[in-house]
Amino acid sequence: MSARPPIDNDTAADSSTVPTVTQDEDAVIFDATTTAAATVTGTGGGTETRDSPAKKQPPPEEASDVRRRTWVILSFWLVVVCLGLPIWWKTTTIYRANLPLDEMLEWADGKACRPVFPLRIAIQADSLHEQEAQNLLRLTQHALDDLNDFSGHHLRLQLSPPPANDDDKPNQNGDDTALTIRLVPGEATTATLDPYAPILDITYPPNTIPSATSSSSSLAAYVANQLRSTFAEEQAIISYLLSTNSMPSEHRPQGLTPEAAESLSKRTTRSLKYAPTYHLTFSLLTSGPLPSSWDIEAAIDEYMKPVLDVLSPIHNFTIDTQVQLYATPGVQNQVLNKEDLSSFVNAAEWPLSPSIGGAPTVNFILFIGNQTIGNPAELAESHNPDNESTASPSWLIPQWGTVYLLSLPHDTTHVSVSTLKQPLLTFTSHLLSLTGTPQSGSLPLRLSTLSRIRSADLLLRASSTLGSLARLSLALPSISIPSSVADGVSKTMAHLRLACETLGGAEGLEHARIAEAEAERAFFEKSMVGQLYFPDEHKIAVYLPLLGPVGVPLVMGLLNEIKAWRKRRRDRAEKAAAKKKE
Amino acid sequence: MRQLFSFSLLSFFSLCFAFLATAADYHEQLVLRPLPLSALLASFNFRSNTTLSAFEAHNFRFFPRSLGQILQHAGTRELHLRFSLGRWDAESWGARPWNGAREGGTGVELWAWLEADTDEAADHQWLTLTNALSGLFCASLNFIDGTRTTRPVMSFQPEGDHPNATDTNTHLLYGVLPHEVVCTENLTPFLKLLPCKGKAGIASLLDGHKLFDASWQSMAIDVRPVCPPGGEGECVLEIEQTIDMVLDIERSKRPRGNPIPRPLPGHELHCDTSKPYHSGDTCFPADSTANQDWSLSQVFGKTIKGTCPLTDPNVPPVCLQVPDARSVYISNGALEKKNQDGVSRCFEIEPETTDFELLLPSPEDLPADNLQAGQEVENIVKPETPLLYAERSFTGHGQERGGVQTILRNPSPDKEVEFIYMESLPWFMRIYLHTMQARIEGTSPSDHDPLIQEVYYRPAVDRARGTQLEVRMRVPAASTVFLTYDFEKSILRYTEYPPDANRGFDVAAAVITILSPNKNDTRSATYNLRTTSLLCSLPTPDFSMPYNVIIFTSTAIALAFGGMFNIIVRRFVAADEGPEVSVGSLKQKLIVPLRRIFARVKPGPR
Repeated sequence: MSARPPIDNDTAADSSTVPTVTQDEDAVIFDATTTAAATVTGTGGGTETRDSPAKKQPPPEEASDVRRRTWVILSFWLVVVCLGLPIWWKTTTIYRANLPLDEMLEWADGKACRPVFPLRIAIQADSLHEQEAQNLLRLTQHALDDLNDFSGHHLRLQLSPPPANDDDKPNQNGDDTALTIRLVPGEATTATLDPYAPILDITYPPNTIPSATSSSSSLAAYVANQLRSTFAEEQAIISYLLSTNSMPSEHRPQGLTPEAAESLSKRTTRSLKYAPTYHLTFSLLTSGPLPSSWDIEAAIDEYMKPVLDVLSPIHNFTIDTQVQLYATPGVQNQVLNKEDLSSFVNAAEWPLSPSIGGAPTVNFILFIGNQTIGNPAELAESHNPDNESTASPSWLIPQWGTVYLLSLPHDTTHVSVSTLKQPLLTFTSHLLSLTGTPQSGSLPLRLSTLSRIRSADLLLRASSTLGSLARLSLALPSISIPSSVADGVSKTMAHLRLACETLGGAEGLEHARIAEAEAERAFFEKSMVGQLYFPDEHKIAVYLPLLGPVGVPLVMGLLNEIKAWRKRRRDRAEKAAAKKKE
Repeated sequence: MRQLFSFSLLSFFSLCFAFLATAADYHEQLVLRPLPLSALLASFNFRSNTTLSAFEAHNFRFFPRSLGQILQHAGTRELHLRFSLGRWDAESWGARPWNGAREGGTGVELWAWLEADTDEAADHQWLTLTNALSGLFCASLNFIDGTRTTRPVMSFQPEGDHPNATDTNTHLLYGVLPHEVVCTENLTPFLKLLPCKGKAGIASLLDGHKLFDASWQSMAIDVRPVCPPGGEGECVLEIEQTIDMVLDIERSKRPRGNPIPRPLPGHELHCDTSKPYHSGDTCFPADSTANQDWSLSQVFGKTIKGTCPLTDPNVPPVCLQVPDARSVYISNGALEKKNQDGVSRCFEIEPETTDFELLLPSPEDLPADNLQAGQEVENIVKPETPLLYAERSFTGHGQERGGVQTILRNPSPDKEVEFIYMESLPWFMRIYLHTMQARIEGTSPSDHDPLIQEVYYRPAVDRARGTQLEVRMRVPAASTVFLTYDFEKSILRYTEYPPDANRGFDVAAAVITILSPNKNDTRSATYNLRTTSLLCSLPTPDFSMPYNVIIFTSTAIALAFGGMFNIIVRRFVAADEGPEVSVGSLKQKLIVPLRRIFARVKPGPR
């Protein structure tokens, strides 16, 4: 270092401190600005303009050097654009499987499927001639069509062939008949529902049979009215379900009064979500040490099993029972009022954990203690619309189960079957209510209605889940959608289509169930959530240290090159112009 | 031996009661035993039965439904769950309660026999079981994954009767969580499983504040099928819940409102007046701690709230093991019955009693004539000498290698002890099996009459399973054996470190199962003990590392790239040829465009 002449030293120092402005383009720009400054500021620019004549110009650059520099910059940018960007894009992009969004939204809006429940009703009129019966059927169908204002729920009459043997069981020819009307001649026009089979017995005075030519008949109108009132509840529930879901208004049934809608909404919120299996837990909770045993198994077999057997085509049930002593309720009042009932169940201390098998648990609690419900009639009104058990000291907890208060003498050590009768009957009726069974009509009718309601409910639920998924994927562009979700969606839609075609039958329920399960699985896919928590700040923190120092020279180089290129073009144009002048 | 015999006799009798009276499906008992150095061992035992048919029909009466459900769901035939805290001081407290069968190593330990057709199915069920139990007991049992699960070959034998089980479809799995801190949130679900819920009977004494303040405590749950001998009668599923705790009487008696120990005023100190330097201002504390008086309400903070009405009336709820010479005060409504062995007595509580209180006065409070004779009579029952003392520690230094040394001492002057030593080590401790050796203290390892008789070793697989080492060995009479081996520490990945990585990694206790000396049934265990758990420190990185790496590499790349790019692209000229750069020119460069902008903006609105 010391051997060098001082002047070299200075140059080196200068060039090292200002390495970025030693280019000739800059020098040109510099000149331009200084002259501009001189013209604008007038006297102020004097100091700069004074030095400029003394400045040495660097030798002109060779054309090959300029070209080479252009190539260098271009190739750098080529690498960045053609290699860097695609790799970056490929490695950081989030996988989003293709979802049939339009179709999904169509399902959610109810455009893809119009739920129609064609109910076949057989008329069995052994005492009538074929011709008379056909005529009656035609008239009744006519009257029904006039009465019906909701096209989704359609009753279709047909004549059933007279049974070959004389046994009382209809439905031998097909399971898809919802109801059989048995017309029997009698004294007056009466109608009774058979309590054990889906049969409506109608007696009629012989003179009411319509003649072949008459266009109206009182008997036909009567039958139509009876049918309508029998299916009124089902119709109301289904139309309520459709109306709460986002159905287009033209499909929406009219004529649902606000009060009816409110009571229906209460009932639907009370019922549990559909599941193929329910787990029933019977708990004997006692406030003290006694009683510590009960005959629950025998009692269930006697009082509850029949209903469970009847429900078995729709739901399976698993049962467990337990005895818990020294159970402290959440409310210690002697007389419970309405507000206390909701906090009576001591969830923190009572071991009422749901079953671990995945089936929803319905809890039936028999609480032995001396607490009573204040003003049971009023409470029963609000909590327990089933008229059969108004006075029973029990209440239903929506989607959870039932609590029954029972006070026994202090020295009772064992609860017998007879003591358990009333509680179990209450539990049974509450179970029907919890599963969403309609309340009017005979039991077989209520159950077939239940299966139709459930299919409609599941269908709508699956559709709305699809809609939510579609909206979610639209609303969050950064969410990843794995292929399993797309799989689930396509399966859901396939089963929805099948369910829609076979609505009302057992198959329809099965398809709707699968569709619902698949839709839920797709919606709650775990790996979809992970990407959400990767904030932009984080990305900036990772990229900036690299992109800042690398990007600035690249961009500046490109800008300078463009400037130089424009200047060269201008010079060339000036030269050309000067040549022309000459 | 006499005390041990009485203790086992007691449990044997209660076992017999359980067999005889199937009507009494529940019984509970509390055994209190004062230990040397002012300690008190309290053993709570609750046992309830359900017939297998009722269990399979999901009818639960005494058996807890929440646990029964889990067992059914996971196909569990037999289950053992342990929550332990502290260390059993065998040197002063002697043999362990229940012969060590009801205790676990520090943390949580779980082993179960599962019924499954294949190993994979068993693993799957094990996962279900640990997850469900984790929810039930509020413990991190769900962290028992493949790396913490082993399948012991020799150490554990089923306690229950498995009549129709074959070796192929019953799988024993063992998992341990040494890091888990056992606390009140585990006690609450434990009490919920009891029929009387801790509201009546001896369980009313259990209180998290006292239990987890104990010097040593172990909560155990054992579920096993028991069939009546001879094959007649129905098999029952038995759940036994045990809590053993060693309370420091001095510490427990400290009032709850004033839990901080403070120095006593001078006149309250107990001084050893026999010391020559004893005077008004010097005091050597007297060793009076062994003879402290205590009562139930003092050490547990409350009294027993009557009896649980479901309990078997033939089993006395409370027993106390002190020499018959000592007098015990009890509250009204209870009856004292001295056992024939002379060192234990039991108390029957009448059903109407609401509070049962027991007071053991200190021997000094006894009348003078008793004290005269009591010079020879022990104030407490002398603890039984355990069959084996075991101590385990790390040897070596540095972050790379280490060693484990276990000192096994046989105190018996004439009997040899044969046992199985089991270690389940984490995968990041890679042991060198060839370095494992056992030697008797004072001798060098010799070939003849080897101490190690059988070794079962299943090596670790990184991040998939831990090391399983089972050694059948023997310790000759009155000798000490050193079992040593070396290991290497792995380097963990960044994400594998726990949040408190600098604390170290817990290594589970070694399980020692002493085999019966009777050669005919070598498989049955007579005594269990566990060593303490170890804390293994691994090389721990600085956890801001990834960000540092990002910044550092970015800077390096940027420097290299910027330099290279500029050299290629820029033109180098002499200093006087280039544009002049000074503060003034820079200012001009900035000011001129700004002026232009201002000039453009100002006339704008006009």
